[in-house]
Amino acid sequence: MEDVLWVTLFSILEERVTHKNYIAKGQSKMRGILKLFHPESFFNFLLMVLSVVIIIVSLRYGFGALRRPGPGLYPFFIGVFLILPFSIILFIAGLKSKKSEPLFDQYGLRRILLMILTFILWIIAMPYLGYVIVTFVATCCFCKVMKLEGWLKPLALSVGTALFIYLLFDYWLYIDLPRGILG
Amino acid sequence: MEGLDLLFKGFANSLTMVNLLGCFIGALVGTIVGVLPGLGPTATMALMLPFTLKYGPETGLIMMAGVWFGSQYGGSTTSILVNIPGEAASVVTCIDGYQMAKKGRAGAALALVAVGSFIAGTIGIIGLQFFAPILGNAALSFGPPEYLAFMVLAFILLSNLSGDDPLKGFLMVGLGLFISSIGINPLDSYPRFTFGSDKLMLGIEFLPLAMGFFGITEILNIAVTTYALPMAKKLRLRELYPNKEEIRRSISPTFRGSILGFFCGLLPGPCTVISTFISYSLEKRLSKIPQEFGKGAVEGVVGPESANNSAVMGSMIPLLTLGIPFAAPSAVMLAGLRMHHVEPGPLLFQNNPDIFWTFIAAMFIGNIMLLILNLPLVGFFGRIATIRPQLLMPFISVICLVGIYSIRNSIFDVWVMIIAGVIGYLFRKWNFPVAPFIIGVVLGPMTENSIRQTLMMFRGDMTLIFDRPIALSFLSVTMAFIIFRISYPFLRRKFMTPKA
Repeated sequence: MEDVLWVTLFSILEERVTHKNYIAKGQSKMRGILKLFHPESFFNFLLMVLSVVIIIVSLRYGFGALRRPGPGLYPFFIGVFLILPFSIILFIAGLKSKKSEPLFDQYGLRRILLMILTFILWIIAMPYLGYVIVTFVATCCFCKVMKLEGWLKPLALSVGTALFIYLLFDYWLYIDLPRGILG
Repeated sequence: MEGLDLLFKGFANSLTMVNLLGCFIGALVGTIVGVLPGLGPTATMALMLPFTLKYGPETGLIMMAGVWFGSQYGGSTTSILVNIPGEAASVVTCIDGYQMAKKGRAGAALALVAVGSFIAGTIGIIGLQFFAPILGNAALSFGPPEYLAFMVLAFILLSNLSGDDPLKGFLMVGLGLFISSIGINPLDSYPRFTFGSDKLMLGIEFLPLAMGFFGITEILNIAVTTYALPMAKKLRLRELYPNKEEIRRSISPTFRGSILGFFCGLLPGPCTVISTFISYSLEKRLSKIPQEFGKGAVEGVVGPESANNSAVMGSMIPLLTLGIPFAAPSAVMLAGLRMHHVEPGPLLFQNNPDIFWTFIAAMFIGNIMLLILNLPLVGFFGRIATIRPQLLMPFISVICLVGIYSIRNSIFDVWVMIIAGVIGYLFRKWNFPVAPFIIGVVLGPMTENSIRQTLMMFRGDMTLIFDRPIALSFLSVTMAFIIFRISYPFLRRKFMTPKA
């Protein structure tokens, strides 16, 4: 019985290690493109700055007294006890560690930027052109970014998707979405 | 007897066309999502929220639970057939499941898993039905100090159990709590961190964040990874029969996994994933033939798969009785119930007992539906896993965009989703766990309320919290866990035999 208890307790703590190893298996290590400055450290640094901003701004909101807490008390505690100390520890640990794994190779970077660009295109154009047209165009773009061969498949998929979304939201759910020029 | 009465009433309520259809759609979509690598249950549930708004809160809850439940079923299919876990809770199933498939026992493994999941789900539902009302009544005596102590316990466990670095977990909890404090504070109507923006006055909504972190992040991740198309084996229905030996060997793992999983569901963090790993190591430890594990031991497939199904039900307990979600999918459920103006928590059993009992009854029905759906259609689901992401991701991307916009007709929410998705991608690359963040966002307002009310109640003297027995016991458990965590390396050396 004791055995079972220990195994249970240990495996709670061990599980992520096994899990991670399993996922990591087979993934190829990519070469570093950002050798000078590790982006993770930079990110931790940004979090440090954020926590300082939170602390300063919440001081401005007013602390109140402990028996009558003001609006600034809670964010102040979050900044001081949670975000600031842990971001400092992680920042220092990040500087010390030598491993530097790049976020993506050149090819991946291009793809991810194009994906984000398509998302932004949808957001900006949707209120003007209406959701059906923009969804059609965006699906085409996503297909091409994800390297779907030819033109017939992307076009068919885009028409299908736009039609499906139109039927789903307009006919079934009666949600009024901007129709733009199709108005 | 009152419980039985209410349950029958629940069955009567759930047997409406809408609820049955909701349950079926939820279970089907959940299974498909579980099969497909990419979109997980959390993102799917968030996406389905606008659809549930058209119907009552029961239908919404049933549909979302169906998705979560179904994804646990579906995840095993790809693990066994193609060695690719459809979602994290099925990673363990790959180890022995795929080995069984290699030996030509894939059909048997799938059938045993489906039956095991069904039994586990049923045990989970019975557990939920039994424990939830009792705990709900007990939770009625909770005041702000008790909630505060419980929240501290939850956050500490959460940061430790999700991700590989507790420090990152704490940081993420902090970020989540901070994000939830943006906007007008309901306690004193004071706008915080809005920097003069009208949009930020209402705060940052939870759903776009969840969609970003679990949906868009996944899409971006799949876009940059080169994907090798899996080959699915064809299965015939008659191959599904397990032999006597396999059935005999899987009976006790199923029941052990079910009970273990149910209690794992009570843990904050990725409870379904944790339950599978614990169940696997437990089965290996208890087995008379541990050397067979990793080479196609049926116990190593059935145990974890049962555990993850009952863990789903277990994790409903903190959500329904306290209104505190412990895992990302239950956080989405909480958001969904709030959209229907239902606040889960101790009062749910007094004010809306119908919702709870209809939900329980619908889950029984859903479980049967999943069993019927999964056994004959297993070949079909195996084929779905081979759909290329190039065809799937564009479709999912635009569904995310339109879906999140349709909830509040707000472009701002879509921006939040995309930014959250990009940040979530970075988080994932650097191994920052996302679940503590998301749960921090959901629990933020409740945490602040309980802190401020406790302070006012005790007139600023926090030491009075030690005079409250329930709060004190939560804090003692927290302390015990911290001590255990710190002394863990030492304990490990002393009690665990070194691995060969």
